Amino acid sequence: MTTAEARLLDEAARRRRARRDAARIWAKTAMLGVILFYCLFPFFWLIMTSLKLGDRALNSPNLFQGPFGLRNYQNVFEQDFGLNLRNSLAIAGMTTILCVLIGSLCAYAIARLPLKRKLLLLSAVLAVSLFPPVALVPPLYDLWRRLGLLNTWEGLYIPYTAFTLPLTIFILTTFFASIPKDLTEAATVDGATPFRAFYRIVLPLAAPGIFAAAIIIFVSAWNEFLLASTFAPRNPEVAQTVPVAIAAFTGAVEFQRPIGTITAACVVVTIPMIIVALAFQRRIVAGLTAGGVKG
Amino acid sequence: MADTTVAPEPDTRSNLDGDGRGGPRRFRNGLSEKSLARIFVTPAILLMALVALFPVIYAFIQSLYLYRRRTQIGFGGFDNYVEALTDDRFWGAIRFTFIFTVISVFFEFVIGMGFALLMNQAFRGRGVTRASILVPWVIPTVIAAQMWFFMFNVTPGFINEVFGLGDFNWLGQRGWATFAIIVADVWKTAPFVALLLLAGLQTIPNEVYESGKVDGAGMFSRFWFITFPLLRPAILVALLFRTVDALRVYDLPQVMTGGAFNTESLSILVQQYVVRTPNPGYGAALSTLTFVIVLGVGIIFVRLLGRDLVIGRGEAR
Repeated sequence: MTTAEARLLDEAARRRRARRDAARIWAKTAMLGVILFYCLFPFFWLIMTSLKLGDRALNSPNLFQGPFGLRNYQNVFEQDFGLNLRNSLAIAGMTTILCVLIGSLCAYAIARLPLKRKLLLLSAVLAVSLFPPVALVPPLYDLWRRLGLLNTWEGLYIPYTAFTLPLTIFILTTFFASIPKDLTEAATVDGATPFRAFYRIVLPLAAPGIFAAAIIIFVSAWNEFLLASTFAPRNPEVAQTVPVAIAAFTGAVEFQRPIGTITAACVVVTIPMIIVALAFQRRIVAGLTAGGVKG
Repeated sequence: MADTTVAPEPDTRSNLDGDGRGGPRRFRNGLSEKSLARIFVTPAILLMALVALFPVIYAFIQSLYLYRRRTQIGFGGFDNYVEALTDDRFWGAIRFTFIFTVISVFFEFVIGMGFALLMNQAFRGRGVTRASILVPWVIPTVIAAQMWFFMFNVTPGFINEVFGLGDFNWLGQRGWATFAIIVADVWKTAPFVALLLLAGLQTIPNEVYESGKVDGAGMFSRFWFITFPLLRPAILVALLFRTVDALRVYDLPQVMTGGAFNTESLSILVQQYVVRTPNPGYGAALSTLTFVIVLGVGIIFVRLLGRDLVIGRGEAR
């Protein structure tokens, strides 16, 4: 009897508390709206602008000044933008593959294998991650000119790989270190070689981490502008990448940036990336915070 | 650092697999964990040395020579450095780069901290917010630059319309051009800082705050005496990478103003002497100076962080 009463009282108090908590939660959720607006509004502006047609609409600050249509997007692909997309995909893809291959080996050695001067190695990796890419521009330009690597995919993905390796190593070291040691030890006891233990046990377990690293590498290679605009400034048929093309779009009138075409190209590039970012949100965040470096 | 061991190339791997199945014991003696570690580390070190370290040395040597256009005309010693250090353009670039770095990192940090605290409090909608915070991060900087260029530009004049400023020319005058570039950078990277700080906040156990509350600490003193000290490592890491990254700024001023109106950064300046007005010796001297400055600032931070920064990576966090 008494227990039932007590339970009822408890229930009432809990409900009151729940209601107060709910109000507080809603207030906090509303504050999150500020963050959403901050992050998403400029992108909304970009989409609206890219859909406007004609000088009058494009030069009007009013977001809803029509007419609207898709002709800007048509213009984008009449300007060889497809080739730019191909170049960027190939270069960022190669960077990702090379970085994951080389980086995961190095990270595993740092996280799990007996290695002398680990601290020195990590300091060197950190130094490379602090490296200003512009310091490479004069010497590599000279070197690439002699080797004939200017305006080639290799000329870009080789330095990209070197520059993204530190980030890859940091992210993957964290992931490899979180895999229980017992697993590899058990495998070695069962007669597996150290390499087999890595290949068959650690690598599959670290797959989510590797995937996160791969996305972050891809994004940073895809977004790179300084080296791309120096080593392959023109010629979409060869190696000009998307950011360089977007920076270089020229309109019918010189010195006037064609706002419709540029914003449409921006949207074309950004939407797939946003979809990927949203789809793999958790993994990317885990990878970014493990690496602690901006892409 | 790289030992002189000859690293067998990856094709030996398949052999290892086969051998391993046949006679594990013999094999374990053949390729120990130690040599495996060396083999694993070698390609990464080689590539980073080849593409990062070697060019810096190459640039330093190149900076000691004099050039006319692309042709070497003689040894100049430190002439190129003297020329750079007495050039107003170089000091202008230094000034812009430092002003940009200090102001933008400051605001990124303040806004990022605010966002992180908000997100750490909320229960509902955290997933959506965390996803949307990735949007500015994933947008290429060049695209962010074009976007903010058009928003600030007189036509279509979106920002002028919102604030009722008429035909205010943000990008066409000194000072305000820097301001516009800083706004674009803060927009793009403050959410990223928030992400890093949020990860740090989530490692602080709730009980610490509870006991702070019991002891009568107010909201502000709880932040100042509990959150801030415990978050120190995360804050320093975020500041280190943001500062070094801001010092290398190139994309935003290049696209938004082309370096006009006192917005020429060090990176833009170096790039000019490589492509537009080629002078490999002078360009190399400028790039060496930039390298020393950026790495110097980085080392100051690493000193502040101490060995934790490097050691912490090796262990699970």
